[in-house]
Amino acid sequence: MNKPKFEKIKRPETIKLPFMLDFYPLEDEKYTRISQFFKNLKERRLTTTKCKRCAQLLWPPRIVCPNCFSDELEWVDLGTEGELYAFTEMRLGAPLGFVEDVPFCIGIVKIGGLLISARIDGAKYEDLKMGDRVRLKIVELEDGRVFYRFFKAKE
Amino acid sequence: MRKVAIVGGGATKCGKREASWRDLVQEAGKAMFENVENLSPKEVDSLIVGAAQPERFIFQVHVAPMVAEYLGITPRKVIAKTELMCASGQAAIRYAWACVATGLADIAVAFGVEKMYMPDMAEAQTNMTCVSDREWDGVNGLSAPPFFAMTAQRHMREYGTTKEQMALVSVKNHHYSSMNPLAQFQKEVTVEDVLKSPVVAPPLNILDCSALTDGAAGIVLVPAEDARKYTDTPMYIIGSGQASIGNALGNLASITEWVPLKIAAREALGSAKITIDKIDIAELHDCFTISEIMEYEAFGLCEKGKGGKFVEEGQSRIGGKIAVNPRGGLLGCGHPLGATAILQALDILQQFRGEVPRGRLVDNAEIALAHNLSGTSNVHSIIIYSRQPK
Repeated sequence: MNKPKFEKIKRPETIKLPFMLDFYPLEDEKYTRISQFFKNLKERRLTTTKCKRCAQLLWPPRIVCPNCFSDELEWVDLGTEGELYAFTEMRLGAPLGFVEDVPFCIGIVKIGGLLISARIDGAKYEDLKMGDRVRLKIVELEDGRVFYRFFKAKE
Repeated sequence: MRKVAIVGGGATKCGKREASWRDLVQEAGKAMFENVENLSPKEVDSLIVGAAQPERFIFQVHVAPMVAEYLGITPRKVIAKTELMCASGQAAIRYAWACVATGLADIAVAFGVEKMYMPDMAEAQTNMTCVSDREWDGVNGLSAPPFFAMTAQRHMREYGTTKEQMALVSVKNHHYSSMNPLAQFQKEVTVEDVLKSPVVAPPLNILDCSALTDGAAGIVLVPAEDARKYTDTPMYIIGSGQASIGNALGNLASITEWVPLKIAAREALGSAKITIDKIDIAELHDCFTISEIMEYEAFGLCEKGKGGKFVEEGQSRIGGKIAVNPRGGLLGCGHPLGATAILQALDILQQFRGEVPRGRLVDNAEIALAHNLSGTSNVHSIIIYSRQPK
């Protein structure tokens, strides 16, 4: 009886991080109708959409108001300083792409009448307390995409 | 609407299993069919599979027909998968129940499965970080532990809840899971063990958190009038409720008060025409220790902010005001997302049948409630089960 052949085959040793395992959104206007948010971030402005008809402030930014279904929205600034409502530090169980950053702080920031989650840079858990003032910073990825974070303001 | 009975079911042992997703399905299917007399797979006309993330964990979509094939089921009325993250299994039960109640199905299986251990656990954590809004919250590393850590931080600040009180939830649930042969963790823990366990995201230590788990389970639902064909001891669904408010973290009704749970609880108890004091067993979604404490409060078992005190006083133990998680909870049994609610239902059935070990048996239990939360606690799902058709 013939012994079946046993052959080694090759697959690529490394592959580029596939887009859908990248947590950062696609920002370009080819991919999203809220690309203005990221353009504003590049100009160091944290903004969101507000409905022109019913005046509702909408987060995350939208193209349609879920309150009155108007699509006439305007970009408004949220400011550059917020207050730390809650925070923690990721010590175990970070996802791919963030493992190298561990430990890192995550907070809920009160800013411009909203509560938003964000990375809190440049501080250890022990350095932070609820109510701390935090300031906006912008981070830029290798491919030019941008995102917002905060850091603790010096008193 | 027809009354619906659950006539039996089966499950795998849960934990870090040396078994594939497909293996787990077969183990649970075999256990389920062996538990239900006079039922052959070919008679099952409908199958709903609760599975949260097979697309991520085993890179497979269209899993309901795969489960059907492995179970020898050939559905001819309803077949689908349900995804509601941590409540995916409860969604499966709800849809199977709705199908049988409306007459769309006559014999339905609600099945749940999750395989969460992967060769690279950072990949599993990646899957768990696209649950909250990935582009606005997940992107900040916001998976469940940081979210519930911040919830705990605010609850401790506003109501004086302590780390020790949170640890007591873990101690209680591990006590019961030590008597559950299906549980991932069958060893008791002490308050000191919890407080000294590795920190995941302060103030949460690892023993404040439910684990990633492999497991599967299935139950069989039929019209109440047919139940006696399959068992002398069925249980009945007598009420349910579900509510969802917001999704992105900034749009929750509140961080420290779970408003959608209060709404779902009112609906569930109202539809069963009972009050919370009639509940003998409450399987509450203790994904984190703080969750169970906030659930006592939302169900009105104690005053708002007094959840820590409630567990401290032993009110949530068997023999207290209400037996909470005598199965061992998610903290003790593990949390195989899609399977969790099915495992809760199955354990309640075994409680009603007197089949669980003495030490975690709730004597003469008549009515039980099973609850799951999902996402950033923005969705709450509840089913009420009864030993009597009522």
